Amino acid sequence: MNSRTSNKQSDRPKGETLVWLSSAGLALGVLMVVFLLGLIIWEGLNVFWPKAVVEVTLKEDSHYKMGELPNLAGVVVKRQKNTRTGLEEWQMLTGNKDAYGAMFKYITREHVISQSFPEDVIVAERMEYGNSIFFPVSLQLRNGSKLTAEDSEFLTRFEQAIKEVRNRYHEIHKLEKNTIGKINREVNALTIKQRLFEREQAEGKTLHEKDLKEVQERLAVLQAEFDVLAAEAKRLRAMQNDEVVEYRLSSGQVRSQPTGDFVGFHLPNQMGLLDKIGFFIRHIWAFLSERPREANTEGGIFPAIFGTFVMTVLMSAAVMPFGVVAAIYLQEYARQGAFVRGVRIAINNLAGVPSIVYGVFGLGFFVYMVGGTIDQLFFSDRLPTATFGTGGILWASLTLAIMTVPVVIVATEEALTAVPRGAREASLACGASKWQTIQRIVLPASAPGILTGLILAMARGAGEVAPLMIVGVVKLAPSLPIDGVFPYFHLERKFMHLGFHIYDLGFQSPDSEAARPMVFATTFLLILLVVVLNLGAILIRNHLRKKYATSTF
Amino acid sequence: MDTAAPPTERPRPIVGENSSDQKFIEIKDFSFYYGEAQALHDLRFDIPEQEVTAFIGPSGCGKSTLLRSINRMNDLIDGIRHDGDIKVNGTSVFDPLTEVISLRKRIGMVFQKSNPFPKSIYENVIYGLRVSGRNKKSELDQIVTESLQGAALWDEVKDRLHESALSLSGGQMQRLCIARAIANQPEVILMDEPCSALDPIATGKIEELIHELKKEFTIVIVTHNMQQAARVSDNTAFFYLGKLIEYSTTETIFFNPADPQTEAYITGRFG
Amino acid sequence: MERFFHSELETMKSHLMLMGEKAYEAVECSIQALADRDIDLAEKVIASDDEIDALEIEIDHEATRYLTLRSPVASDLRLITVAIKASHDLERVGDEAHNIAKRARNLILKSKGEYDLLQIREMAEKAKAMLRMSMDCFVNEESEKAQEVLASDAEVDRLNKDNFKGFIKLVKNEPEDTKRYMDLIFISKSLERIADHATNLAEEIIFLTTAAESRHSGL
Repeated sequence: MNSRTSNKQSDRPKGETLVWLSSAGLALGVLMVVFLLGLIIWEGLNVFWPKAVVEVTLKEDSHYKMGELPNLAGVVVKRQKNTRTGLEEWQMLTGNKDAYGAMFKYITREHVISQSFPEDVIVAERMEYGNSIFFPVSLQLRNGSKLTAEDSEFLTRFEQAIKEVRNRYHEIHKLEKNTIGKINREVNALTIKQRLFEREQAEGKTLHEKDLKEVQERLAVLQAEFDVLAAEAKRLRAMQNDEVVEYRLSSGQVRSQPTGDFVGFHLPNQMGLLDKIGFFIRHIWAFLSERPREANTEGGIFPAIFGTFVMTVLMSAAVMPFGVVAAIYLQEYARQGAFVRGVRIAINNLAGVPSIVYGVFGLGFFVYMVGGTIDQLFFSDRLPTATFGTGGILWASLTLAIMTVPVVIVATEEALTAVPRGAREASLACGASKWQTIQRIVLPASAPGILTGLILAMARGAGEVAPLMIVGVVKLAPSLPIDGVFPYFHLERKFMHLGFHIYDLGFQSPDSEAARPMVFATTFLLILLVVVLNLGAILIRNHLRKKYATSTF
Repeated sequence: MDTAAPPTERPRPIVGENSSDQKFIEIKDFSFYYGEAQALHDLRFDIPEQEVTAFIGPSGCGKSTLLRSINRMNDLIDGIRHDGDIKVNGTSVFDPLTEVISLRKRIGMVFQKSNPFPKSIYENVIYGLRVSGRNKKSELDQIVTESLQGAALWDEVKDRLHESALSLSGGQMQRLCIARAIANQPEVILMDEPCSALDPIATGKIEELIHELKKEFTIVIVTHNMQQAARVSDNTAFFYLGKLIEYSTTETIFFNPADPQTEAYITGRFG
Repeated sequence: MERFFHSELETMKSHLMLMGEKAYEAVECSIQALADRDIDLAEKVIASDDEIDALEIEIDHEATRYLTLRSPVASDLRLITVAIKASHDLERVGDEAHNIAKRARNLILKSKGEYDLLQIREMAEKAKAMLRMSMDCFVNEESEKAQEVLASDAEVDRLNKDNFKGFIKLVKNEPEDTKRYMDLIFISKSLERIADHATNLAEEIIFLTTAAESRHSGL
């Protein structure tokens, strides 16, 4: 018995508690990741879920009254205890920023006498001033007749009106952007030409009477075309205001607004689960595919997604060959010695330089020096308007490429070292030259490792904001870096970026409270984009790994 | 054992006495240095054509270094230096006019660990031809067939030439490496412990193959397995501490070695 | 470095030497028995033959076992092959001693009178010397001395021939003692065979130490 107990004691190996310590470290890490991701996913997706609108009746003398009636309709976002007074406080999303001056309202629970969920309350998305929460009164139609809210057709007619408005809006957009845009571009080009001719003529170099005349004639034609189109656009715009909806706010104000101001509406308190799911999916899609409105706090973020994607791809395209070629020389050809060791240490240290420093370098080197020179050489006719001499997606990508190149070099070097000596020797013994060996044997075998480096570089580059702010990211870009206008790839254009978008929404927005959900949704999307890019690279890597699996090297 | 005691004086150099008088590979006063360390000391012997010559000796005795000097595989290492000369079929391998690429095509090599490329069997065999720019399909097909037949692998892989070489067994991979070496139609095949990672059956097949291959090629094999050296080789050279202790016909080495160190080594009394 | 299995060779070697000593002793005792008409000694030699036979089997077994398990080469391999052959030779020496002892017993029991041994004693001394020398060469791995053994063989052959002629003459003179002289002729012949086996041993030792062939005049 005695010996057994003493055995039992020695069964517990020494130092096993360290395993607990290490697993606790991992658990903490996992917990933080799960918490952060959970928060972002929950808050990000919650934005799109339709929430019930509550109408509260306030005390008659409440200072929270917004109008004649002591009522207030809105979505209760948060119930919390005021730390100062100790009273329960509700944060209500009341919308109607144009009427109330703010999107949110804090009211004390004590002032609420009763609450109800009116069936007929409408939440309408508008082009400006955010959502409106109201009770419909009437709809003034174009033909002069008037539908009241009690009419059974009212909702369908209102929906139809909004659809018409939206179609017309797209039409106007197309007209202005494409047709008129094309004319504008030609006019710009002609104007530049005209200026050039005039300058040369003034300097007395050559006479361009005939050319000048041609240009002027063409300009006149274009002006005429423009006038016609502009008139058409103006007519369409006017039509947007033809029909007017009249509504009553919960607090009693009655307001009217043309249907052209509306984007869509829903009746949250009437919606079933299926309706809500449909609404949810529709809004997610709109978020992904539409352009932002209202200082980015409303609408979609498609340009930012697209900008981030294009920038990351451009960055990868730049950093891959550069990093890989550098690593190959460093690892395979350079004579290993103190100098190469120094270079290697320098490269590793580059990874620790603050990213904003790269931004400044990008601004100084790429934008001002390279871009400025390009402008001098190729776009001198457009000066002083800078073409490449200002921030743009190309410079942003190259700046990030410089920033991430140490990652790729280090990973590539590791991958090259990992290629077994046997593989190289076999190739050399077959009479292959060193370069042939690298090209045919070493690079394919190290491709998975190189791609791992690229994945890391992409993850870092896609999430970077600080350097981008000074080399080409803007809060609202008028056009995408790739579109249907010749030459299709506009590398000089400024662009939108999800990371910067998050910063802009969260810290630069006039109504940051209203933008908060969008911050979460955008963050979620940025993470999703990085995950998608990484997954793509991982899939390629696994494919390569299988293809070049080395079993007995 | 008194025979195993390291001799105090330098052992007398033994002039090559192989089974024939041919001098296909001539090693002339060859010394080799890794930086300051001398790995080979003044080696002088000849290797005859179309015979198998085995290099034996304890690890670090320089036998692999010598083998790798013949096709200049040692060039990959920094800080190496050599004295003397090695001639293969009359031309020096260190001749500045001898391009190392074409030298390695003339002198094939098979390594300790089978190292097929992660490519198809077919591509593995013709790798040497591909890198020298020979791409004619009919020619390649013929060479693949001949090389695989020569390596006694044809019957096993003829139906799956385009499958990955990594799907083969260890012994098959090693024979594929031999096929890859003979596809270049070399004059000499160097084998660096070709069977050390194989099971006895695969080893037996490789040994049979070596026996067949010597009809066409001059083979130099480094091996730690003395029974193998005894079975496959015609001549055996024993190295110790970078010196050639004894070089003679395999029968002499294994039946009546002249040098007590050789005797001690092959009977297992060394060290 | 001595490997653990190399002691097996030493064991085998010592068995071989033991066998040599026993064979030598048998020869010595058998001749002594003949000379001193010592019936007990003769009986002892006859009995000792089984020990020698058992040693031969043991050495054969050790040799084949070593061949099977230890893959010997060079001098180890030569030692094994020599051991197999030498043990056989020594066994034959033992057999011849056994024959001599049997004939000696015969002579002691049946021939009461005095008789001449001619040069049998001298022969026996020579054969014994050859045997001793071979064994010494084996122990000391000396091939030069072994050459001397080869030279002595002719001497023993000559003595045997002389004995043969002498005994034939005696048979003619004393035909009633033919049987006795036949025994003596056979004893002489046995001694000649023992010298032959000693020669074989010497040749084997030369092969063991130099790997050179000295048998059949180095064919």
